[in-house]
Amino acid sequence: MQIGLPEGDYSWILNLVFFGFIITMSLYGQKIQMWQWLKQIEAGLIELKRMAIESRQSAIDAFKEHGTEEEEVAKEIDRWLDYFTIMPVDLDPAGILTRLDHLLDQRRDRFQEFVTDLTPDASNSERMNLENTLEVTQVLSLIFRIVRHFYLLGKKTGSTIMVMQVQMIMPELLRLAKAYSDAMEAFAQGKPIGDGIGPLVVTKLAREYEATPETYVHEVTKEVGYYPIEVEGRTVYALRATGPGGTVGKPGFAVKKIVADNKGKIARIITVDAALKLEGEEMGRVSEGTGAAIGDPGPEKYAIEQAATEYGIGIEAIVIKEDEAAAVGVMDKRVLDSVPEVIERIKIAITKRTKPGDKIILAGIGNTIGIGL
Amino acid sequence: MGTISKILGLALTAGGAVILAYGMGPDAGGLSFILFTVGLVVMSVGFSLLTAGRKKEEVKASLPTVTEIRCNGCDFKEIRDYEKGDYILKPLEANCPKCNGKMTIEGVYVVREESDQDRF
Ligand SMILES: [Zn+2]
Repeated sequence: MQIGLPEGDYSWILNLVFFGFIITMSLYGQKIQMWQWLKQIEAGLIELKRMAIESRQSAIDAFKEHGTEEEEVAKEIDRWLDYFTIMPVDLDPAGILTRLDHLLDQRRDRFQEFVTDLTPDASNSERMNLENTLEVTQVLSLIFRIVRHFYLLGKKTGSTIMVMQVQMIMPELLRLAKAYSDAMEAFAQGKPIGDGIGPLVVTKLAREYEATPETYVHEVTKEVGYYPIEVEGRTVYALRATGPGGTVGKPGFAVKKIVADNKGKIARIITVDAALKLEGEEMGRVSEGTGAAIGDPGPEKYAIEQAATEYGIGIEAIVIKEDEAAAVGVMDKRVLDSVPEVIERIKIAITKRTKPGDKIILAGIGNTIGIGL
Repeated sequence: MGTISKILGLALTAGGAVILAYGMGPDAGGLSFILFTVGLVVMSVGFSLLTAGRKKEEVKASLPTVTEIRCNGCDFKEIRDYEKGDYILKPLEANCPKCNGKMTIEGVYVVREESDQDRF
C-alpha cells in the first residue's frame, strides 16, 4: 500500500484539489444544501400539482353529468377554487362561537347555491355529494398553492429557514394530499367513507329496535333527524344526519334542541364518532371516553357541552380509530367490522349507567355519504 | 432503460474497483492517491446507477370497492363489485335466490392491505 502523500511531480495537483474542496464546501456548502432542498420540494410540488389537477378534472367530470356544459363547469369551478372564509375576530372572544356559526352557515349557503346553479338536473343527495367533491378539490388546490408560494418565495429571497421548513413538512403534506386525492373517488361516486361510521352505528342499532326509514324524524335541525326507539325500557333519541347524501348536518345543535325540548330531562348523552388513530394503533379499534366526540370548528361541541353542563347530564363518547386515508377515503373493511362491538358498548352504557324510564340521546357524528337511513 | 443503466452501473463499479486496486498496489507510484480517489468516485457513481430506480414503487391501481349484500330472512350473502348508486342499508329490488325474501346492502367497503407489522 502506498496511500499517503505522493512524492514527486504530482503533489501540487493533490494539494490543489484538497484545498479547492475545502474552500468550495466552506463557501458554498449552504448553497449546495439549499439547492438540494429546493430540488426535493420541487419533486413534491410536481406530485401536489398532479393531484390538484386530477381532482379538478374529476370534479368537472362529476359536475358535468348534471346538465351543464364542460366549459362552463370548468370556468365556474376555477372561480370557486380559492373561495375563502374569514375567521371571526378573537381579540374580543365574547360571542365568538355564535359569530363563527353564522359565518359557517353563510359559507354553506354559498356552496349550496353554487352547486345548485351548476346542476339543474341533480337530486338533493347528488348535490350534497358534489358539494363534498368541491371541498376536496379546494383542499388539494390550497395545499398546492401554499407550497408553491413558499417554494417560489424561498427561491427568490434565498431564505434558508423558509425552504428548510417546507422541505421538512413535505412528507406530511404529501401524505395528507394523497389521502384527499384518494378520497375524490369516494365523494364523486357517493361511496361511504370511514368518517360515516358514527351514523352507520346509530342506524344499525336503531334497526335492531324496530326503527325504519319511515320512523326517522326529519329536520330537527338542518339535515339532522333521529329515530325514536325503546331500548330496555329507556327512550333513546338515535340521532344522525340524513343520508345517503353526503352531509354532516348540525348534530350538536340537534342535541341541544332535544335537550331543551325535554326541559333537560335527559339522563345521558352518548356521542359516536370516528377519531384519528395514532400511528401503530390498530385500525377500527373502539375506545371510550368522557366528553363530546365531534370534530366541528367549535360551535356544535360547545352546544353539547353547554347543554350537558346546564342540566347536569352525563356525557360520554365512543370513538372508532382510523387513519386520515381511511377517514376520508372509501370505508375500510376493518372499520366496518367494528360496528357490532360499538353497538355492544353502547348497550352496556345504556343499561349500566341509566335507569328504565330515562331518556337518552345517542348521536352518531360523521359524514353520511353512502349511508342510507 | 432499466437494464442498460444496470449493466453500465455494474461495469463502472467493476472498473472503479480495478482502478482502486491498482492505485493501492505497488506499481502506481506517485499517482497512487489520485488513482485511489478516482477509483472511489467511479465506483460510487456505478453503485448509485446500480441501485437507482429501486426506490421507485409502481403506481398502485386504486383498490376495488365491493358491495356486500345480505338477505333479511336467511343467511344468504353475496359480495359483488360496487355499482354506481349502491349505498349501505339500501333495500334492493332483487329478491333472495334462496328464500325469495328481501335483500339489503350491508356493506360497501375496500379491503386495504395490512401494513407491515412493526416491532412495537
Ligand atoms: Zn334469503
